[in-house]
Amino acid sequence: MKPVVDRLEQEYEDTVTFKVYDVDKSQEGADLMRSYGAQYVPTFVFVSSDGAEAGRLVGEVAESEMRSKLDALR
Amino acid sequence: MGHKQLVVWAIAAVVVIGVGVLLFSPAGGGAQDVSPERSAELVAEGVRVIDVRTPGEYEMSHIERAENVPMNMLAHESMEWDRDEPVLVYCTTGARSSDAIRYLADQGFTDVYHLAAGIIAYQGAIVSGADEVEIAEMPEDVVAGDGPVLYVFSTDW
Repeated sequence: MKPVVDRLEQEYEDTVTFKVYDVDKSQEGADLMRSYGAQYVPTFVFVSSDGAEAGRLVGEVAESEMRSKLDALR
Repeated sequence: MGHKQLVVWAIAAVVVIGVGVLLFSPAGGGAQDVSPERSAELVAEGVRVIDVRTPGEYEMSHIERAENVPMNMLAHESMEWDRDEPVLVYCTTGARSSDAIRYLADQGFTDVYHLAAGIIAYQGAIVSGADEVEIAEMPEDVVAGDGPVLYVFSTDW
């Protein structure tokens, strides 16, 4: 998934902030993951400008699904 | 043809058919996809359960009784396993475990079950490390961000 995330991060850099955490190594990431009640990795949480969760995807998801969610955030 | 000859021919036919079945059955054992519901039944029946995700993922949550054997350890660990013992294999969504069941079948494991939809679809008992930890407060910058944010929670890619 990493190449997909890297590519999308570059493509959406002007509109969406990507915050990528390795929850094995980042305590902040692990805490945040628990805050969202996420149980599995990878989990992608899409948050709109007002701070509300707009959607989430879990697992090895298709790039098209990611794009669809990111476009909805714009 | 006498009665004895008939019996001899019948025995010969059974032997030939038996040998044929053995020769032409698929080599390398067998693996099959099973539904989350069937997987829960297999767990309840006491089938050996193998979680091929990373230790970090396993600690977060796993199916009860599951043993953690990450993909990079599977070849080494499975050398000691009984190839005729039924085993249920899973990961998060079924991607990594597809490779694992193929490997086990190639190694001659005869009874490999695959939770093809992954643990995210599993409806049985899950042991969660997060149960013992209080839900953390949502950080300020998450509540009021400057724009849309995508949070990616992963382990080793």
